[in-house]
Amino acid sequence: MAEQPHALPYGVGRFSHRFLILLAVLTGVVVWGLFAYAHQLAEGLVVKGLRDIGTMGGATWGLYVAFVIYFVGVSFAGITVAALIRLFHLDHLRPVSRMAEALTIIALILAASCVVADLGQPLRGIINLFRYARPQSPFFGTFSLVVSGYLFASLVYLYLDGRRDAALMARRPSRLQGFYRLWAAGYRDTPAERARHERVTLWLALAIVPLLVTAHSTLGFVFGIQSGRPGWYSTLQAPGFVVLAGVSGIGLLLIIAAIMRVTLPEGKEVHVGIFRWLGTLLLFLTVVYLYFMVAELLTTLYTGTRHEAEISRSLLVGEYAWLFWGSVTGLVLGALVLSLRFLPTNVQTRLPSVSPRWPVLLLIGALLLTGLLALQGLDLISPFSATTARWLASVAAVLALLALVLSLPYLSRNLVAASVIAGILVNLAAIGKRILIVVPSQTHGNLLPYGTGWYQPTWSEISIIVGLFALGALLYTLFFKIFPVMEVHAHEEGAA
Amino acid sequence: MRTVLTIAMVLLGFFLQFITYFFLTAPWDPVYSNPRIPFAPALFILGVMLVFLAAVVYELLPDRQVQ
Repeated sequence: MAEQPHALPYGVGRFSHRFLILLAVLTGVVVWGLFAYAHQLAEGLVVKGLRDIGTMGGATWGLYVAFVIYFVGVSFAGITVAALIRLFHLDHLRPVSRMAEALTIIALILAASCVVADLGQPLRGIINLFRYARPQSPFFGTFSLVVSGYLFASLVYLYLDGRRDAALMARRPSRLQGFYRLWAAGYRDTPAERARHERVTLWLALAIVPLLVTAHSTLGFVFGIQSGRPGWYSTLQAPGFVVLAGVSGIGLLLIIAAIMRVTLPEGKEVHVGIFRWLGTLLLFLTVVYLYFMVAELLTTLYTGTRHEAEISRSLLVGEYAWLFWGSVTGLVLGALVLSLRFLPTNVQTRLPSVSPRWPVLLLIGALLLTGLLALQGLDLISPFSATTARWLASVAAVLALLALVLSLPYLSRNLVAASVIAGILVNLAAIGKRILIVVPSQTHGNLLPYGTGWYQPTWSEISIIVGLFALGALLYTLFFKIFPVMEVHAHEEGAA
Repeated sequence: MRTVLTIAMVLLGFFLQFITYFFLTAPWDPVYSNPRIPFAPALFILGVMLVFLAAVVYELLPDRQVQ
C-alpha cells in the first residue's frame, strides 16, 4: 500500500484552530457542570430546588426528570430514521443515517446521566435497580430497559452499520488505522458479507422499532398510570410521549444536518431533499401533537375533577402560563415556518425582502434580555422589580417574534434555514412541555388538603443540565472526528 | 453453524426475559416483594442484550474455510 498522506473524508482526523477552540469551550462548560455536580454530591440534594410534595410545598421531580424525558425523546429520532431508511428503502436519507444513530446513542447516555444526577446516592441507586427492580413497573422500562436495552441495540446497529466504512478507512495510512481495523473486524465487503449485513440490519430494524415504541410508551406510562396524581393520569400520555419524542428528535436532527451541510467539505451530500422529507415529517408530528394537546385540555376542562381543572387553570392563566403559551407558540411557529415552502412560488417571490441584519439584531436584544431575566430568576442578580421584569419579559418575547416575522420572506425561500429555525423552535417548545408535564401536577395536583407548591431550579441544577448538553456536543463532535459522518463512497475507496 | 448459534442466542435471550419476567422477579404473588434470586432484573436486561448481541455474532462469525 502506498504510504502517501491522503486526507481522510468528512473532516476525519483534521483538527482546525476553530475546532480546537470549540473543544476548549465545550470542555470548559463540562468542567463547570462537573463542579456543580460535585457541589451537589458534597452538600447533598438540598442544593437542588426540589422539596417534598405537600408537606414542604415543593416538587420531588424537576429539571433532571424533565430532561430525562427530553433526551430519551431526542434519541427516538435517530434510530427511527435509521430503521425507516432500512425498512422502506429511503436511500435519499442515507447521508443523515449515521448522524441519527450517533444522536440516539449520545442522547441515551445523557438521559442516563440525568437519572444519576437526580440520585442522592447514585451508586446505591444503580446497584439496587438491578437487584430489586420489577420488570413489570414502567420505571424499570424507562430507567433500565430504555437505557440498557435500547442503548445496547443502538450501539449494535451503529457498530454493524459502520463496519464497511471502517474497513475502507483502514486501507488508508493514518494514526487511526488500528482503530478502524478493530472496528471492521475482518470485513472485506464481499457479496456474501453484504447480503448478510442486509439481512441483519433488516431484522435489527424490525426489532428496534417495537422496542423504541415500547420504551417511549413506558416513559409515558410512568406518568399516565398514576391515578392519584391529577394531570398525569391520562390515556394520551403514552402516545403523546412518542409523538413529542419524534418532534424534538427530528427537530434536532435537522439542526445537526444543517451544521454538517455548512461545515463539512462534502456538505452538499446532505441535500435539500433530506430537509424537505424530514421537515414534512416534523410538520406532521407537530400538528398531531398540537391536536393531542387540544384534546387533552378540552377533556380536563369540560369533565375533569376540581384538581385537574386547577392544573389546567395554572397552565392557561396561572403561574405556568408563560411556559405553556411559550411552548404552544414554539410549536405553532415551528409548524408555520415548515409550512412556508408550500406557499406558491409567485407568492414567495412577492414577499418583501428584509436585510438579515435586522432580525439578527432583534434576536440578540431578545436573548440579552432573556439572559438578564434568567440571572435574576436564579437570584444571582436583582436589578429589576417584579413588575419591570414582567414588562421586560414581554418586550423580549415581542422582539423575538418580530425577528421571526421579519425573517419569514427569507425562510420561505431557504428550506435549510427554515428547517433549522423550526428545529430550534420545536425543541425549545418540547423542553417547555416536558417541564410542564413533570412539575405542575406535583405543585398544583394534590388530592390531600395541602396548599399549592412551588419549584424553581437552582444554579447547580441548571449548570448540570448545561454541562450535559456540552458533554453531548463534545462527544458528538469528537466521534465524527474519528469516524466518517456519512457512508464512504466507492471512489473514496479507490483513492486509497 | 452461524444460523444455529444466532438462533440459539435469540432463543436463550427470550427465554431469560420470559422466566425473569414471570417467575424470578416476584411479579404476581403478593407474598414476595423482593426478587426470588439476587439480581433477577439484571438477568432480564441480559436477555434483551443477548437477543441483540446475536446480530453481532451472525455478522462477525468467520466463514468456514473452503479447501
